[in-house]
Amino acid sequence: MGHVRRPRPAAHALGRGRPLSAPALAGALIRTLNERIGSDLRDLWTDEDTVEFTIDGARNVNVLTTLRDDPDLDFFMLADAAAVDYGIDAHFEVVYHLYSAKHPAWLRVRARVDRANPRLPSITPLWEGAMFHEREMYDMMGIVFEGNRDLRRIYMSPDYRSFPQRKDFVLPDDAADSSAHGVNPLERPETWDLTRFNEAPAVTFPTSELRPDAPAEGVEDGVTAADKSRPR
Amino acid sequence: MTTIDPETRIPDPIELDRMEEERLRAAAGLLPVHAEGGEYAGFDTVGIPDRPPQTEREREVYTLEEGEMLVNMGPQHPSTHGVMRLVVKVRGEIVVDVDPVLGYLHRGIEKLCENATYTTVLTYVDPMDYLSTMHNEHAPAIAFEKLYDIRAPKRAEYIRALVVELNRVFSHGLMMGFLALDIGGLTPILYSFINRDEVVDLLSAISGQRMLFNFFRVGGVNFDANDEFLSRLGTWRANVLENIEMNERMITENEIFRGRTVGMGRLSGEDAIKLGVTGPNLRASGVAFDVRKAHPYSIYNELEFDVITQDSGDSYARYLQRIAEIKQSIHLIDQIIDKMPHGPVQAQVPGIIRPKPGRAFAAVESPRGLYSVYAISDGGPNPYRFRMRDPSFISLQAVPKLMPGRLVADTMAVMASFDPVMGGVDK
Amino acid sequence: MAVDRPTTNLPQPVPTGDAPIIIPDAGGDDALLREFQMEEHPQGGFHGLLEVIPTKADYVLDLIRANSLWPLLSGLSCCAIEMMSTATSVNDIDRFGMFPFRASPRQADVLIVAGTLTTKMAGPLVRLWEQMPEPKWCVAMGTCTTSGGRFKRSYSVVQGVDRVMPVDVYVPGCPPRPEGLIYGMLKLHELVKQRRGQWGTYVDRGPQRTRWEGDVR
Repeated sequence: MGHVRRPRPAAHALGRGRPLSAPALAGALIRTLNERIGSDLRDLWTDEDTVEFTIDGARNVNVLTTLRDDPDLDFFMLADAAAVDYGIDAHFEVVYHLYSAKHPAWLRVRARVDRANPRLPSITPLWEGAMFHEREMYDMMGIVFEGNRDLRRIYMSPDYRSFPQRKDFVLPDDAADSSAHGVNPLERPETWDLTRFNEAPAVTFPTSELRPDAPAEGVEDGVTAADKSRPR
Repeated sequence: MTTIDPETRIPDPIELDRMEEERLRAAAGLLPVHAEGGEYAGFDTVGIPDRPPQTEREREVYTLEEGEMLVNMGPQHPSTHGVMRLVVKVRGEIVVDVDPVLGYLHRGIEKLCENATYTTVLTYVDPMDYLSTMHNEHAPAIAFEKLYDIRAPKRAEYIRALVVELNRVFSHGLMMGFLALDIGGLTPILYSFINRDEVVDLLSAISGQRMLFNFFRVGGVNFDANDEFLSRLGTWRANVLENIEMNERMITENEIFRGRTVGMGRLSGEDAIKLGVTGPNLRASGVAFDVRKAHPYSIYNELEFDVITQDSGDSYARYLQRIAEIKQSIHLIDQIIDKMPHGPVQAQVPGIIRPKPGRAFAAVESPRGLYSVYAISDGGPNPYRFRMRDPSFISLQAVPKLMPGRLVADTMAVMASFDPVMGGVDK
Repeated sequence: MAVDRPTTNLPQPVPTGDAPIIIPDAGGDDALLREFQMEEHPQGGFHGLLEVIPTKADYVLDLIRANSLWPLLSGLSCCAIEMMSTATSVNDIDRFGMFPFRASPRQADVLIVAGTLTTKMAGPLVRLWEQMPEPKWCVAMGTCTTSGGRFKRSYSVVQGVDRVMPVDVYVPGCPPRPEGLIYGMLKLHELVKQRRGQWGTYVDRGPQRTRWEGDVR
């Protein structure tokens, strides 16, 4: 007997209350934003509790200074600074989230950064606490913050070569289209017979099509297996 | 007063041995090797990096003046915050500069979450700030519900708030124990762990796990409150206030504790905001910022509580702030238990949700500060970008600002009063 | 029965003397056992384990060692909290002699690797392991140290601590309950009493560096 598919009610119909995407009650905020930084503002968008707009990367210090120092805006707290990679043929984006006691919405400032030369002015003169945020963005994405006095890697070792959160950094041990397929013996059925484990051929690493000139992540020249737990 | 002429005094036996060894080595042709330049630190506990300084700040920290020394409080040390390395530049016993080296627990959670479904993401974020797991899951759950345009049922929100406040109680209790442990008192940590075990048995009755609970789902929570949970909750609630008071009495008026923490690590409100410090650390410096009041989420609109602050921004104030917050959380738990409605605990959501493309930001008040999640969806089963902002990571920046001028032993005391958890710092 | 025990402490992986090393032959095509006999294998090699017959004094010494294993304070991550919970009042591991969590590796017997081992931390952890004097044992607590655990496909997590050091007991769980860790430590007691495990009995095998290069994925 086949599986009978019953029509299921839409998920949001069962949630209670109003839908979440009602715009924020932030009319005063939007008016003030348009007055003070209207020339830099692009793509203004609101959500239930967030107001968001995009700016050009080079203007981030000016815009954030206005947002912080203007008495009507008064976004005194930097809640978050994040970097987003929109794809290998698109751009980066650095996203700042700000809080003000005077307005009922979080403010999201999206600063667009070129992917070929990812540089941005540092906002550490405004908020010293952005230092670790910028170090992390440099470590993970490779975005260079000009004016940051301490732009070194924070999570990875100082001699690490890659930027892990970019979209062209493929996690090894991912499925068959990864350059490191087969490192885990469980991915190779010829190794499942333990009495004949050593007869299985060693794994070689083809180059990835995303980065054809680079070998697989972390595997040195001439070594075929990244798994060094036993001699191969 | 007799003075001893350094040229004619009798050297002690160790020096004689050393001189003899140098003579032998020189006779064998092994001359002593000195580093180039004038920055040889002599007794090198920490090697100055053998590559040129990468940044101005690195050069500032690793350049030694006359009489200064680098001491490495390495990734493994008896302080219980996890694996962090502090390179401390000292002159004698006074700290001149501090360079924290992080990343010894970096597990790549954000990258892993890009390849996981939304429900799996909620399990990946558990071990970030492993002492406040429920908060770690709360923020992504809210963010994903915003992306999916859904609201959790009322009872689920109440259960979420209940477990979140329970988590806050035991996390702050552990901070008390760790602070005393870092100062040298070995007893309060035992009491903190007894408290934690009681609460954690309670939470294991409702979620099945003692520590990394995996309790939240997109659209609600996983299990409803069962009989065992409710009976344990009642027993716990009957005893908790006097337990907390007993623990508090052990530490709060203790003159050694006060001597070590009062006036130590004083952080002003403006500095705290500039450094990005949030949570009890910020409120102890006088700034009344609590995410539950600033941008209320879940059911905090319906609960009545105040934002507590302290006046002085020192370690003692941070400690008192956390005790006050424990009592406030217990008060909140009482209100939640009174007001909890009946109903389902999870909205009907498919196993793999595919929200429409969009962006969502959700912030919660974790025991260490403002914990927020910024999620971007591209319409597929996995989030396109999942970013977590951890409070301990940013609060750690206050430590190099507070340390210079103090003794080495106070470093860990001030660090412990900020209560960082390395899982969150390193993600 | 006279046993030739080398009296030198210099690193010599093979004992000198004419006492033969007895390796049981388990059949011609048992490739796995042959590989196990290779010295490069972390758990492999028979160095003096079969040369000696334990006497009553050895049994008592092993009992003493087992009942007073001093762990090293090396909590990395969430399992560290459960390890601390095992060490404190409710689940008390002091009953088994493990009260002092030594801060210095020179004074410790057991390295309980509690928490995720990342590639950056692998260096310091291996240095800690090498600083511990023999006899020493290693307990891999939690799934992160057993096999990488929930961070299986991460770029910066060592997929199991046995890629960098020899492990005696694996305690699964995420995190293992304190009762689970206590069960693991009791298993370690059994290992110690039977004198199995990674430390050289009467022959100094030299510095125990398992091969570890930069990439341990």
